[in-house]
Amino acid sequence: MDQRHDFPGYLACQSCDSMFDVSRLRDGDTASCSRCGGFLTRYVADQFVQVVAIAIAALVLLALGCSYPFMTLNLNGLESGMTLPQVALSLIAHRMPLLSISVAAFIIVIPAVVLILVIALAGAIALERHFDWLRPVGRLIFTLQSWSMVEVFFLGVLVSLVKISGIAMVEMGFAFWAYAVFSFLFLLAVTGLDRAQCWHQIEQLSQHE
Amino acid sequence: MSNGFNTASSRGLACCHLCLKLVRQDSHLCPRCGTAVHQRKANSLERTLALIVTASLLYIPANLLPIMITTSLGEVTESTIIGGVLLLVDMGSIAIALVIFFASVVIPLTKMAVIYYLCWSVKRGRLGTARQRTLLYRMVEFIGKWSMIDVFVVAILVALINWSGLLMVRPGPAALAFAGVVILSMIAAESFDPRLMWDLEPPAEQPNKKPVERPVVKFVVKPDVKPGQEFESE
Repeated sequence: MDQRHDFPGYLACQSCDSMFDVSRLRDGDTASCSRCGGFLTRYVADQFVQVVAIAIAALVLLALGCSYPFMTLNLNGLESGMTLPQVALSLIAHRMPLLSISVAAFIIVIPAVVLILVIALAGAIALERHFDWLRPVGRLIFTLQSWSMVEVFFLGVLVSLVKISGIAMVEMGFAFWAYAVFSFLFLLAVTGLDRAQCWHQIEQLSQHE
Repeated sequence: MSNGFNTASSRGLACCHLCLKLVRQDSHLCPRCGTAVHQRKANSLERTLALIVTASLLYIPANLLPIMITTSLGEVTESTIIGGVLLLVDMGSIAIALVIFFASVVIPLTKMAVIYYLCWSVKRGRLGTARQRTLLYRMVEFIGKWSMIDVFVVAILVALINWSGLLMVRPGPAALAFAGVVILSMIAAESFDPRLMWDLEPPAEQPNKKPVERPVVKFVVKPDVKPGQEFESE
């Protein structure tokens, strides 16, 4: 039985509670609420395979982004560099552990956890295998998702570049470029995993076990 | 609560906020994902207001205390959020000054004002249609996290500029306060339930016009929604 063509039957709009029949979507269709314009669901035939591929690439880039120099400063011969984890860690040295934990969570930990879980969940769905951990993993993904600030951090990097360029020479490291591509891929992976379609597949897998 | 459109609540259904499954209103846990089910977000107004009031209070120290402390050859300069913006204007980076000004002043203030207004609009009268206010809500939900830029900029400068004795940047207490403002107002926006605004809509206000259709967007609207067997109440 081909489960790819089974759709969630009805969905209620998250903003205005109107019910819609979303059982007849074609590949690439996006369904929106006709009452308030809210997003309902998007159907892409091989979305889970795509999401796994993008998420793996993003995770590799994040690992690279964490292990190479991010930026190097040069002030009349005095060098100073930083890596991505140092952005969070240096705050501990200034006795701001709470801020340090938040920054680390928003830009590294939450994105990394979400990616690992997305690879596991979307992978299991793509392979049509059922596991007991699918439900808790799904809950965690859709709870954590909104707490990543990857793209905000990236804009922050650009702003600090301008701030620093007045006082010292700045050189972008390999990790900067890795993180730039990572933030793009991360957004693709997270938006590619459609909530309604994803949970429908989890339900299907648990029923056909 | 039925106003022309078939709402889930008018059919005795509740929507799981995590997995979007439609379940009977008397269910406690979603059968699909196991999350607690509420017809509307629990104590939405009270929670939202409590969080946004806390965020507003925190916004005061976030602006009065220094966000960044620079030590240059023994000379200590403390700068507040506004001070940083003015410094950037002095440096001639108007564009960056605007980015920071928007992220740290305009967005959080607008966000707090909009959330107060939305809470008030559910309780009292209303200006504008529910659709317009929903749009306002979505905008606020989307831009909220961008306020975090200034905190990230401080974290980056602290990590980079660290030549003790010569030039050093330390984070100020306002950085923590401001991060608190952003986090609290994000949770506040998440606690607000826009469906409360639609529940008040009189049937006459319901838009009968055909929705704007974009080529990639396909609306599948059946006027007579017949729930499947699993929804049938006793």
